Amino acid sequence: MFELDQRIAEQLTEVALNSSVQVRCGNSNAFMVTASTMVPLMQMFEMGGVYISGSRSAMEMIEAFETIGIDVSNIQFIDLVSSGVLGGTTTTRKNIHYVDSPIMLESILLRSLYLLRTTTLERNFVILDSVNALAIYNDDRMLAEYLHTFINTFRQREVLSVILNVPDQTPPLVLSNLDLYCTDLIDRGQVVIH
Amino acid sequence: MQPAAVYTRDRCVTGIHGLDEILRGGIPYGSTVLASGTCGSGKTTLAMEFLVRGAIAGEACAHFTATEPSVKLLENIRQFEFFDMNMVDTGLINVFDMDVLYSWLGLEKSSFDLDDVHALIKAIVDIVNTIGVTRLVIDSVTTLCYKIKSEQLIRDFLFTLGKKLSTLGCTTILISEITSATENAHWSSFGVEEAIADGIVVMGDVERMGHLLRFLQVVKMRGTSHSRAKHAIELTPIGVMLTPMLKWGAQGDTQSRWGA
Repeated sequence: MFELDQRIAEQLTEVALNSSVQVRCGNSNAFMVTASTMVPLMQMFEMGGVYISGSRSAMEMIEAFETIGIDVSNIQFIDLVSSGVLGGTTTTRKNIHYVDSPIMLESILLRSLYLLRTTTLERNFVILDSVNALAIYNDDRMLAEYLHTFINTFRQREVLSVILNVPDQTPPLVLSNLDLYCTDLIDRGQVVIH
Repeated sequence: MQPAAVYTRDRCVTGIHGLDEILRGGIPYGSTVLASGTCGSGKTTLAMEFLVRGAIAGEACAHFTATEPSVKLLENIRQFEFFDMNMVDTGLINVFDMDVLYSWLGLEKSSFDLDDVHALIKAIVDIVNTIGVTRLVIDSVTTLCYKIKSEQLIRDFLFTLGKKLSTLGCTTILISEITSATENAHWSSFGVEEAIADGIVVMGDVERMGHLLRFLQVVKMRGTSHSRAKHAIELTPIGVMLTPMLKWGAQGDTQSRWGA
């Protein structure tokens, strides 16, 4: 049975709506940490929002959530992966929206804002999965600048931003800026296997 | 001690998300604004939203189209969630085919002389006056000016039209098609439009690693301070949305182009 990390839920109870949370995870626990963050936000705090899917396709993420019994039909997914794969955008799911490439950083921000403007929920989040996926395609300075804009844009609109990050694979400039801009840190970045 | 009050002109609030902020409140009333860009940059969409937002505020609006039939144009603006066909039925949005106007005026010819230009100005001004239009779009002024062979006549046409529309309190967007890909390009096809217009809004694409990102930049707007930064835009069902373009993302500006 899939077990969620309850300590993440506890940490999230202390987070304000206009916060920006850096969630550090490792390679092996990335999905568990992501799910452990999503579930309390949706179920305990009754939030909705946008999931920016840059690591894997949105369809794959939705199926992974459904496999462990998490209904994400009310979450809007922005898929940065599938447009780069011919035939990847043929899904009929209405909560998947495509951006051509992780290079189109401003488009990702504008699409998120658009989706948030169409939601009827009062409390919303934006989850960016992940800084590492964006770092593959974007220059360090541009990514640092983008995260600065991204975080402040959502803080100003009282939208909780959650930024997933595998720190030992994040460029140092980006990581230091992320540490500076984010208001909260959930650190599950070091997984020790005994 | 309070700072001295600064005189500000009344604004035509465009209602376009972000644009009014860039213009510090909107376009000064009665201005003639050149919206320049190449195909696919979002000029017509921006101009149509300008009209629909005006109609929502109860203003009478007119669109003169020379690039696509009015029926097709109206079909395209149905994508806007805030558009209602009643706006057309109740006369708040009025779309005129330039071909029909030419035919009505007996101007079905390849080039216009001075009398033709004056007849055209009078017809447009009469329509604006009769309906009480406060927002007008001509799409495109480039197509129209192709029929005016002399640069001096183009200048006279635009200057006289702009002056008369301004007197009537009508804020006008003239759509201009540009093709140049260089940073030394003009913002208009004939070079005279940009000097006469009160404002210039440039729209185009920045190429970033093989992907085209739409941008909008207000390079000139008389009567108001404004941002001159490049803004990335998205065309969405709730209208045009803007955000400042990443500074490091504009590094390839020497390769950027104003259109495809």
